[in-house]
Order: sequence, then C-alpha cells, then structure tokens
Amino acid sequence: MAALCRVRHRWKRTNCIQLLTRNLTGTFDYDLVVIGGGSGGLACSKEAAQLGQKVAVLDYVEPSVKGTKWGIGGTCVNVGCIPKKLMHQAALLGTALKDAQKYGWQIPGPISHDWSTMAEAVQNHVRSLNWGHRVQLQDKEVKYLNVKGSLLDEHTVKGSTRTGKEIMLTAKNIVIATGGRPKYPTHIPGAVEHGITSDDIFWLKESPGKTLVVGASYVALECAGFLTGIGLETTVMVRSIPLRGFDQQMAGLVTDYMEAYGTKFSWRSVPKSVDKLSSGVLQVTWTDEQTGKDQRDTFDSVLWAVGRAPETKTLGLEKVGVKLNKESGKILVAADESTSVPNIYAFGDIGEGRPELTPTAIKAGKLLARRLAGQTNELMNYDNVATTVFTPLEYGCVGLSEEEAESRHGKDSIEVYHAFYKPLEFTVAERDASQCYIKVVCKRGGDQRILGLHFTGPNAGEVTQGFAMGFQCGATLTHLKETVGIHPTCAEELTKVNVSKRSGLDATVTGC
Amino acid sequence: MKLHLFISLLFSSPIYVSFQMAHRLLVRRIWTLSVKDLRCLPASTSSFSTSLRSSTTPLSFLSPKHTLPRSLPHTSRREVSFNVQDHEDFTERVINSELPVLIDFHAQWCGPCKILGPRLEKAVAKQKGKVAMAKVDIDDHTDLAIEYGVSAVPTVIAMRGGDVIDQFVGIKDDEALDSFVSKLVGQ
Repeated sequence: MAALCRVRHRWKRTNCIQLLTRNLTGTFDYDLVVIGGGSGGLACSKEAAQLGQKVAVLDYVEPSVKGTKWGIGGTCVNVGCIPKKLMHQAALLGTALKDAQKYGWQIPGPISHDWSTMAEAVQNHVRSLNWGHRVQLQDKEVKYLNVKGSLLDEHTVKGSTRTGKEIMLTAKNIVIATGGRPKYPTHIPGAVEHGITSDDIFWLKESPGKTLVVGASYVALECAGFLTGIGLETTVMVRSIPLRGFDQQMAGLVTDYMEAYGTKFSWRSVPKSVDKLSSGVLQVTWTDEQTGKDQRDTFDSVLWAVGRAPETKTLGLEKVGVKLNKESGKILVAADESTSVPNIYAFGDIGEGRPELTPTAIKAGKLLARRLAGQTNELMNYDNVATTVFTPLEYGCVGLSEEEAESRHGKDSIEVYHAFYKPLEFTVAERDASQCYIKVVCKRGGDQRILGLHFTGPNAGEVTQGFAMGFQCGATLTHLKETVGIHPTCAEELTKVNVSKRSGLDATVTGC
Repeated sequence: MKLHLFISLLFSSPIYVSFQMAHRLLVRRIWTLSVKDLRCLPASTSSFSTSLRSSTTPLSFLSPKHTLPRSLPHTSRREVSFNVQDHEDFTERVINSELPVLIDFHAQWCGPCKILGPRLEKAVAKQKGKVAMAKVDIDDHTDLAIEYGVSAVPTVIAMRGGDVIDQFVGIKDDEALDSFVSKLVGQ
C-alpha cells in the first residue's frame, strides 16, 4: 500500500489551524478582524477586503438548547428574515388557494399542508445561502474561521474551535458584530427543557403541531401568523401590549386581523409552568391577570418569543474595557460605532440603541469599513428606516408612530390623515378588509412635512419601500397629493388620503 | 502489478470488497435503472436497500450519515463510486487514487445536481472500472469544496495522480459526459 501511494498533497489553501503570531516587525496579522459572520459582519469584512485591507471574519454558532445549529450568515439568513418570509409565503399561498376557488379555479378536495416538504425546501434554500456566503468570502479574499472569538486585549482575538483548539489573531482594528439570541424565561419551570425558540422553529423536521407562542413581539406574531396560515392550531400569549415600540393603533389592526384569521389570543396572561405529560404533550399553566385565576391547556409545542439577548457574555469585553449598557447588556457605541476602547467597534444588533434590522447592519458595516480604510467620514444614518412586519396582514411603516409624533411635537401640531380601503383582490375573494388601513402623520400647517407613514395590507413591504425614499427626501403632504396613483393598486390609496382624524369624518374609501 | 490484480479481480468474481488498493476503497454492485426511474431519485436510504441483492454477497457500506449514491443501475457492473467522508478520506481515495477520479461536487439544494448525478454514474459505469467517482456534498465538506475553487454546483473535476486534469460546471448531456470521461481515462 505504502509503495503504491504516491504522496501528493495539495497545499494550495490549507485549512489546518495554525498559530498566528505577531511577526518580528511588530505589525498585526490582520488589518481587521470581525467577530460575527452575520448580516453586519459579512458586509463589513467584504467591504474592507475590497478596499485592500487584510481581513478575517470569525463566525461560530453555539447550538440552541434544543441542539439546533446552522452555517454562516447569521440570524437573518438562518433563523430570521429568510426562513420567516418563506414560511409566511407558504401561509399566504394557503389563503390564495382558498381565494382561488372564487376566481374559478376548480380545486378538488380539501387542501392540506405538509410541514416537512416546506421545511426541507426552506432549509435547502438557507443552505444554498450559507454556501453563497462562503464563496463570496473566498472571492473577496476574506479569511473565514469557524471559531468562537473572544478578546484577549485590544489587539488580540482568541478563536476556539468546536473541538477546543485555540488560535490567536492580532489585528489593528476589531469589530464586534455578534448579534443576539432568543431569550428563555428561565424563571418559569419547564421553560428551558420543553420549549423552543425562533432558533429552532425553522429547522424542525416535523410539524410543531398545536403551538403556544409566548410573546407579542413581531417575532411572536409573525411565527404565530404563518403557523396559523399553514393550518396549525396556534395561540399567542400576550402579557401586556402587542408590538411594543410600534404604532399601537396599527398593532391593534394587525392582531385583530390575526384573530379573525384564526389565531387564538390569550391577552393579559403570564405563563407559570410547562410540564410534559406522559403522552408527550406539553401542559402549560398560566395566570390570567384580569381574573387572577390560573388556566391550563395542552400543546404540542411551546415557542418562546419573549425578547432577544445580546451575544456579549463570552467575548471577554469586561477584561478589555468595552463598556456595556447594564440593563440591556448591549455594547455602548458612539455615532461612528466606536466603543469605549479606541480600536474596537461594534454594530448591528449588538449595539445599544440600534435597530435590530439587517439592512441597517449591512449599511453600517460597509460605512464602518470605508471609514476604517480612510475612504470616507460618512456616518450611518439610523433615521427614517422603513420596516415591515410580515404578519398575515402585513404592516409597513416609515418614520414616527402617531404616539411618538404627538409626544415630540404636541397633539395640536400634528395632523393625521387616514383611510380604510379595500384591496381590489379581496372583493371577488369575499375577504374581509376591515383592517386594511393607511395613516399619514404630518406636521400641521407649514409645509405639512410627513412625520410617519403607516400601511396595513397585502405586500406592505413592497408598498412601503417606495414611499420610504420619498420620506428620506423630506416628502410633504403636498408631494404626496401631487403624486398620481397607479391604478388599481393598494399603494395608490396613500396618494389619495384626505380625511383627517381631527375632522371626525368617515375615513372609508368609497369607489374610484 | 497490483493494478492488474485489481482489474482481473473485477472481472473474475461477481462482487468483492478489496482492502488492498486503499484502506477504504469499496466496490458495490450497481444496477442500471431505466431512464424514468433516474428522475425520481430518493435521498433516503430505504430504496437503496430494497433494491440490493444482499443475501449472498459480502457487501460493506459506507457510514450511513451521508446520502448513498443517487442512482442504482440494474445491470451487474462493478463500479467504484463513493461518498467522501472527510479530508483524510479525500486524500487517500482521491488524491492518492491509482485510478483517475471524477469528483462530483454537489448539494442537496441543487436541482441540476440531481440531473447530472445519475448521468455521471452512467458514464463512469461505461468505463468498467477504469475510473472512480468521488462524491462531495459541499454542505458537509465546505472547506474542501472551497479549496478546489468550487463556486457553483454541480462542478465536476477530473483528477489523475492528484492533479486536476479538467473540470466543468453545470449539466452535460450523456455524449459530452462520455467524451469527458474517456478523455480522463484515455491518456
């Protein structure tokens, strides 16, 4: 055997872990080391490499309590935006199939949904994205290391592999973009052992069955929304208000639609314990805060969507002197994403006060890379960021909520124009459009500058994106009214809005 | 000399497992499927086991954690076709292979890979043991795939004596594949 083996090894690009040390001239191994290979980390590292910097990105996924893990790309690609939107689409298609019959489609027999088919397809797409990211890093000559990074000092990063091997890297600048992970309510008995989180739901091989979603964040509502849409019995348990931080009138419309759509809501309820019965189902006991009484029900799955915690605990930040916000645990950052340590930066979900969104992380990462390479002084503008909640009735918005506008400018200084409209597609389908609504919050008098724009309806994300550009340009109510609508669309209703809340008139749109 | 032994063994007994060529070189019986069957290749192991005649022959299987070969031709031919287990396995069975090797980089999520896979098996089968085929799932062996410059899948690399002789990306029809494989075997 040995005689036959012509030993030829390809040393082209070895991936064996080597000990990297500062060379004799005292320079660093890398110009930039990015800890975290998510939306922000990847954008920053690729941009820096393109600008000629020597960059390494460290990405590591600590498996969830249930053991779920995933590849490079971060939360958005693996356990967030992407799988969420695909499953939301699966649910919407279910509704479309029901509508289809009214439009003449002959659909024989009852329609049912197979979780495994959807999950496999979604998971395969995510894997293709993981691969795509690896190829991009390779193309852009960013060194990728699948290690858990932590800081040893302001220029040294330690990387630990899954098997416990350690490597050291030195860098001129270090960027932390480690994001966050879902929280478990550890004070609730049985919560950790029996519950799952958004880290797990998208990777389940089998249907979660009858599910209890605890929480009222967009994560909770979006998950509950698509679970209901694919035919699963779903309950949302809300402690106080839905979609905290969002316009509450709009949040109410979103949850009203979900209730009409089939999702059960348990308002003002706080879970007390989760027990696994001998049959395998989970028994949840909760307190109804209105009556003070305890209630009980059984579920196949319990999904905790009670907030996210920043991934800062194992970074060694305290030792190096990077300051955190005591309450949130997030890293305190300045407008240029710098931390309390001069050459260490942090951005994305990990930054205190930053929106937890992919597009802001990507843009901030790119600008940071450009600033570090001395190419620009431009700072990230975190204002006027449009978002959309992908619940069964989608909600898109840009700018201030009505409450926020009132609080900043005073109720008398703002004018709120609104309209209830009916998407044309709902008519033939005989669908209820009671929650399809538009609200434009403007400054009263003067140029009537638009302060906030809110839309519930189909394709809210697509509708809102274009208006977000107008918002960015300082659009006023006049600009909006001067814009001719595209007909027939839902978006055109924004250009036709003319009834103010103050007038008290009926805001229902009638006819063309 | 051992190469001759290997080839003569191939033609002298219905099936055999050789541990002389390389530690983990396996030979398995492959049956050709009809063309329409090639379209519905299952990813699970169940159909593989039901279509194998395992009673009299000492067959050993690769570790079940990787998907088994995606096609099972019915006529009795000996084939050298395997799933790469890890970097070490790759070095031993591909780089150090006595036979020229076709490396099929594929992925679960890749539609065209599912079309090319069986075609490659067919083309390799036609060579009657003169060429081996190593299958690399790029999600399981990302580093290896990146090392070989794979960006899109399917990517097929032709290797002889540890050197990359030729490669292509995407689907090829049967004729083009036959000529590609013949070229690899030919020189």
